[in-house]
Amino acid sequence: MIVVTLAELPALPLHTAGKYVAGAYIVLFALVLIYVAIMAIRLSRIERELGELLACAREGELSAGPGERPAGPGERTAAAGAGTQPDPAVPAVCPPGQDDVAQPESTLA
Amino acid sequence: MERSSQPQAGLIKRGSRARGETPAYSKGLRTLSISTVIAMAVSLSLVFFYAPLEAEQGFLQKIFYLHVPLAIVALCGFVLGGLLAIAHLRTRDPRWDYRSYVVIHMSLIFAVGTLITGSIWAKGSWGHWWVWSEPTLVSFLIVFLLYATYQPLRFAIEDPERQARYASVFAITAGAFVPLNFIAVRLSTAYLHPRVLGSTSNLPGSMALTFLVSLAAMSLLFATLCKYELTAKHTRAQVRALRRRLEGQAEARRAPRSAAPSLQHVTAMTAAPPPGGRTTGQR
Repeated sequence: MIVVTLAELPALPLHTAGKYVAGAYIVLFALVLIYVAIMAIRLSRIERELGELLACAREGELSAGPGERPAGPGERTAAAGAGTQPDPAVPAVCPPGQDDVAQPESTLA
Repeated sequence: MERSSQPQAGLIKRGSRARGETPAYSKGLRTLSISTVIAMAVSLSLVFFYAPLEAEQGFLQKIFYLHVPLAIVALCGFVLGGLLAIAHLRTRDPRWDYRSYVVIHMSLIFAVGTLITGSIWAKGSWGHWWVWSEPTLVSFLIVFLLYATYQPLRFAIEDPERQARYASVFAITAGAFVPLNFIAVRLSTAYLHPRVLGSTSNLPGSMALTFLVSLAAMSLLFATLCKYELTAKHTRAQVRALRRRLEGQAEARRAPRSAAPSLQHVTAMTAAPPPGGRTTGQR
């Protein structure tokens, strides 16, 4: 079916100005592709940051005692100093994310 | 930073009222994306398999269906950015500045596409990549260079509130310049560059239909990319606000300097004050 359809279609005169037309349409394709790649990088960064935040939130719940309000990662040091021993495997505070590092968004945007 | 405290307090108030009503920029994104893909596919099919070859330029004229819609959408985007900036200055709502920024940003990308495809067309048609005596080309380059200063202007201003205001004034002024520039070029005497608007009726029906479908597809692509950009930036701001909330220091760390709007309304809505803590507006 596809072969028949393609056979019915008129042939494109690519031998004359084909390279210019192809170049122009490739430019649009490349622009969209670059944009999609940038969006993929952004998405992976957001996913990584969300994972870090989720880990921080879980750690906050673990460090809080029964009936206590789950402490935020920023409050964890004080809570640990009051009674429980801090887990050495867990950093004292949530690590700063990409957004907290001075980085102009315009470089990626 | 002294003058920024008052508008920020307003933001908090507005954010508190709208808590739980965070704008969902991703609403309708799927439908829009599917529509764009379909429209682009139909457009390309019409361009290559339906529209007849032009008598003078032949196959090279197929660039017309890409280059002209790109230019029209880019210029309309610049004007739209100005209109959104007017809304920002009228309401002082940072969301309008946010939309204006994204629309102008995307228009700039489309303008790059216009310049590149135009150069390719010029090379194939006239034998030169660029013709300085052609007013349409030069005027579009001037508009492009004008808007190329938009991001550096934003980045040069540290205070987010002032940044948004100055950027809005720039967007309005430059947005008003775009149609004036367009009219001035059309009134000029040189008609080397092919005329499109105003002579569309001279196009055969099949060519006019293909052109209009291409224009619609390009507009949909523009709208989709803008929506993607809005959603991505909004999501990133939400994650940033959530991080501050989890760290219990909603306003201890200043946001890094950026040309992009600070999206304080997102922070205000998401980062509720911790027990006994202060709100951003109480600085």
